[in-house]
Amino acid sequence: MIIRTRLTLWYAGVLILSLVIIGLGTYREIDEQLRHAHRREPTEHAISETSEMVFQVGIPAILLGLLGGWWLTRKALAPVSKLTDAITKIHERNLRESLSRTRNGDELDRLTEVFNDMLMRLDDSFNRIREFTLHASHELKTPLTVLCGETETALRDESLSPTERERLVSQLDELLRLARIVDGLTLLAKADTGQVALKLEPVRLDELVRENFADTQILAEPQQIQVELAGCGEIPVRGDRHRLRQLLLNLADNAVKYNQPQGRVTMNLRRVDDVAEFTITNTGPGIPPESLPRIFDRFYRGDPAHSNEVDGCGLGLSIAKWIVSAHRGTIRIESVPDQLTTVTVRLPLDA
Amino acid sequence: MRVLVVEDERKTASFVRKALQSEGFAVDVCPNGNDALAAAKSTPFDVIVLDIMLPGRDGLSVLRQLRERRDATPILLLSARGEVNERVEGLNLGADDYLPKPFELAELVARVRALVRRGGENKSPVLRVADLTLDTLTRRAQRGGSEIELTAREYRLLEFLMRSADRLCGRMMILEKVWDYDFDPGTNLVDVYVRRLREKIDANFEPKLLHTVRGSGYILKERP
Repeated sequence: MIIRTRLTLWYAGVLILSLVIIGLGTYREIDEQLRHAHRREPTEHAISETSEMVFQVGIPAILLGLLGGWWLTRKALAPVSKLTDAITKIHERNLRESLSRTRNGDELDRLTEVFNDMLMRLDDSFNRIREFTLHASHELKTPLTVLCGETETALRDESLSPTERERLVSQLDELLRLARIVDGLTLLAKADTGQVALKLEPVRLDELVRENFADTQILAEPQQIQVELAGCGEIPVRGDRHRLRQLLLNLADNAVKYNQPQGRVTMNLRRVDDVAEFTITNTGPGIPPESLPRIFDRFYRGDPAHSNEVDGCGLGLSIAKWIVSAHRGTIRIESVPDQLTTVTVRLPLDA
Repeated sequence: MRVLVVEDERKTASFVRKALQSEGFAVDVCPNGNDALAAAKSTPFDVIVLDIMLPGRDGLSVLRQLRERRDATPILLLSARGEVNERVEGLNLGADDYLPKPFELAELVARVRALVRRGGENKSPVLRVADLTLDTLTRRAQRGGSEIELTAREYRLLEFLMRSADRLCGRMMILEKVWDYDFDPGTNLVDVYVRRLREKIDANFEPKLLHTVRGSGYILKERP
């Protein structure tokens, strides 16, 4: 039961109770007066007179009171609904936009004030975490540079045995993978703290898709995967050319990596109403339904047992999502395991 | 050939120096910007490798100062931040190349070599390595008298490798020059393309020209 209904019912209860008290009082008063005036049995007369008064005046008064009470509680609780609406709109990115206050010093204003304080503290903590990630990824770069450099220096030694060489090469491979992870992490941490500016310009998305299609065909060749471009009409968008190319390559690379030998990759670019829609499907084993909601999370690996089978930095889709959001677009993945996995990207057209 | 390495991180400076020395460069190391400015004034260098994050005067300020006093020495910027803006700013200030940390040593050496040879780059429209020729005007490639069909991307790749003949080309460098990617896409795009190109230019011919340097990149040259 919402507070408004509860308060109205309480109010009605109080009104009825006071009516009963008033009724009883009136009854006794009338009874007394009649006794003095006529000195005979007045009771029946008093009862009918009282009930007449109660029905004629009391019931309308109660109804009016109820209506008034409903209106009053509604008015008193209106700021609470407003507060609720405002709070629903809060997420981790707009904590700084505090709720507007009435500044009339009442309880709700006080609640808003305390709530705003809490938002500030949360925002500080979020910022600290974001900055921590950014600093951590910067700090990792120097030791990584040293490790890569020293491993490569060691590899230059002509007197290494094949086993030693093999070991160093594998070590260097892992170091370079780590470097890619740190790069991805730096990019996302910078995007989180609003330090990555997109260079927006008119871009022909179809040209980027065609170029990407040609590269994907080559990437897919070793596993004999068929790549098709179903449609690619002229579609202008406003975007950052480099980032959009990074997005397309990233999605194409995934479609090839997570495919099966002799599988198929199909790309399609078309105009749907006032958005550009790019889809890319692959015929790989797919993504289990329970993993889909978390697929864009950083370092999320659906099946930990298979996490190392495919080489990757675990940040590709998070970066893809960031690029799409930064262009005010949407990205969606649907998957029917063992049949078809489809990634759909929608970007606003260049007006 | 003399290179100035401006880097405050001792270990990084040390292996960069070793790598460049083993490639036949004479190397001087400066740990900060002011020393670097003084060194560049007294000694003519062929290339300066300049870290952006230095104690005191930072790399970009050193770069600005050098260009202000009309010192045109080719400069390769190094940075741990790897920001696109920083790269653009550095190149606008007159740097010649930019390499984000962590980098592959081979990549750094290749870039330094490219800067040294930049002046003497082959300007002729017909590039030639052994019996492989590439006419940059007609965009035709031939080896041993027979025509080689190339896609647009393969052509750009071959042109880049031929212009850098006898020099190691790192993967990042190839991605940058042939694909115009300024990020590491984490794919084996370069390797797959090189394999295809090799099919076309090397499979039916001797000697083999396109060689892989494991963990580092590729080199197009006549003798292995």
